[in-house]
Amino acid sequence: MRLLLVGISHRTAPVELRERLDFQARGVEVALQALTARGSAREAAVLSTCNRAEVYVACDELGPARNDLVSFVSDFHGVDHATVAPHIYDLTDLEAARHLFRVAAGLDSLVVGEPQILGQVKDAHSLASDVQTVGPVLNRLFHSSFAAGKRVRNETGLGSGAVSVGYAAVALARKIFGDLKGRNVLVVGAGEMGKLTALHMKSQGVHRVTIVSRTMAHAARTAEAIGGATAAPWDEMDAALGASDVVITATGGAAPILSKARIEAVMRPRRNRPLFIIDIAMPRDVEAAAGEIEQVFLYNIDDLQTTVRENLARRSTEVARAEAIVGEEVDKFGAWLRARGAIPTVVALRQRFETIRRSELERLDFKLAALPPEARTRVDEITHLIVEKLLLMPTEQLKSLGDADTVGAYAEALTRLFGLAQQQADKEMEEAAETARRSGRASAGSGRPELVEGRVEPFSRSKSRGPR
Amino acid sequence: MNFIPLTLYALALVAYAWHFSRRDAAVGRSATTLLVAAALAHTFVIGMQTMEAGDVPVAGATSAISTFVWLLALAYLYTEMTTDERAMGVFILPLLVALQAIPAFKPNAVVRSAVLQGPLFGLHVSSLLFAYASFALACVIGITYVLLFKEIKAKHLGFFYARLPSLQVLDRMNQRAIVIGWIFLTVGLIVGGVWAAQARGYAAGDPRVQAMSLQDPKIFVAVLCWAVYSFELFAARRIGWGGRRAAYLSAVGFAIVMLNFVPISYFLTKSHNF
Repeated sequence: MRLLLVGISHRTAPVELRERLDFQARGVEVALQALTARGSAREAAVLSTCNRAEVYVACDELGPARNDLVSFVSDFHGVDHATVAPHIYDLTDLEAARHLFRVAAGLDSLVVGEPQILGQVKDAHSLASDVQTVGPVLNRLFHSSFAAGKRVRNETGLGSGAVSVGYAAVALARKIFGDLKGRNVLVVGAGEMGKLTALHMKSQGVHRVTIVSRTMAHAARTAEAIGGATAAPWDEMDAALGASDVVITATGGAAPILSKARIEAVMRPRRNRPLFIIDIAMPRDVEAAAGEIEQVFLYNIDDLQTTVRENLARRSTEVARAEAIVGEEVDKFGAWLRARGAIPTVVALRQRFETIRRSELERLDFKLAALPPEARTRVDEITHLIVEKLLLMPTEQLKSLGDADTVGAYAEALTRLFGLAQQQADKEMEEAAETARRSGRASAGSGRPELVEGRVEPFSRSKSRGPR
Repeated sequence: MNFIPLTLYALALVAYAWHFSRRDAAVGRSATTLLVAAALAHTFVIGMQTMEAGDVPVAGATSAISTFVWLLALAYLYTEMTTDERAMGVFILPLLVALQAIPAFKPNAVVRSAVLQGPLFGLHVSSLLFAYASFALACVIGITYVLLFKEIKAKHLGFFYARLPSLQVLDRMNQRAIVIGWIFLTVGLIVGGVWAAQARGYAAGDPRVQAMSLQDPKIFVAVLCWAVYSFELFAARRIGWGGRRAAYLSAVGFAIVMLNFVPISYFLTKSHNF
């Protein structure tokens, strides 16, 4: 089984094209069903965010599958093949895995280390699970990507520090007040920037958001846009200041509206309750000297942008560590994938041995007939144990082979030595007959080795060392 | 025997410092483990001394220091577990190591003076040791508050910003530690006064009992401490002296406590040299 990724992202395609190829517009489930109906992929998952649209499949033949996937992307969205093709990238096997792991870790994001992408990767997997288009290979691939994403988040500083002004303001407020629940926010000015910052605060569960503006109607409109906020008249600003913990000033006025003396007067009855003022207006709304008051923390837009820049610089130093973690996870996944490549051979080998054991027991049945039933059970158990012991070492060795080519060579040798091909042919004939009998029940994977019944299981009863 | 806890405290200090600078969760857990091991070893040492002497070793200045270190380690561990905050360890551990070095290098006589008897004496000493441990925590929390406060004020969000809890949390922890410490200090001082009055009855000839008055440096400074912390509590509630001023006051208060606890106990007091 081979892994294939076909996709476009913010690195290869302009936003106009990404919008046209957005799978979410028609629903990822619909896309997955349309894709599996084409038959070129055994397993499929679609990762669709505003910055990328990627199709991950497990298939038998890379070449045809690749062409089919590109056609699928253009057909499904009704975009001309020639328009799409130059922007599409494709990666195979472990490079596809590495790509997904980097995506999940936030290394491929527009803002490196942004946290949402891991959730989006998880959603992509659960959507594909819901419509049952993922199987063992993609399940393993996606779970490994979650592990890579989680490790990068926990073990590096890639996602630490706010990288937008809004988040930087929220992070600072949390560093001053701890929890923002129960805190009051005052927005001075009814502009867009103030509204956005207030929305950030609101998402942290603040108790009350109050808007004051020179024009009461503007304040009321902004309050409505934020949702659950209240508007207050301009001349009640001092009272509102006294009741607030966080103040966002964003008026368009030329002269500062909050002087040091005015804030000092507001602070006196507050005693030692801190006041965090975020001045995002240009020119500034708050006199810079107000920052000297003991419990007043005054940040303007430049200060916040400086912290954002510092955080971005810090993140970029963590990239190498994150890449190393991704590399480790790719190695683990690669080992699993190779071990998996040996499964059909292992299963066939074990079936061969089991068949021989059974037929010999049957052949000698007349000699065992005299034995009491317990003794016959013992014979059955002992022969089974011998077969298991004989197969243990070869199974372990096959699982730990280095690369796909070696696995192929060993499989070839075993097939020849034990005549496994003949047995496989017999079995397929049997299965064909079986399928014919159970007509109507289309079986996508009944011939697949993992589903073999009875005692023949690929790696059972052997101490597994590698990841499974 | 006090060397084993001392070594473990020192190792824990290294681990806490490493954890603080690198923010590695596994190192943090081993730091806590080492500190728990140190506290257990210390419990064992104190338990042995108790069995040997028949009393908890709190009478002499040296044994009192050892017991204080033990209490402070327990109080810190309690704080760490309830707040899930390891950042303070790197500030507490140096104090533990420095103080524990005294009993480790200057073994104490375990014979308790005959004057020191009765439940009131035990209550007096243990209340005060508990108060001092609380004040030590308050001092450390106050120091970290000031460090974080300065970073945020200076708009230079760096080392402490990334490592410490919020100002509000630090302020609240500081206040709580001061309140608990003040209650124990008050109880300890009152009980000490009552005990001294009783001791005048049965051991009037002892020069140390005679020296027990406000003129004695140990007693005077202890009352001074009580005044400082009372003022801090009053100021925080009445005149809005929370935050940075409260943090500075807890540092000043604890400096006086340490002055009283070590140099005055060894060199100046005439009433408390048992």
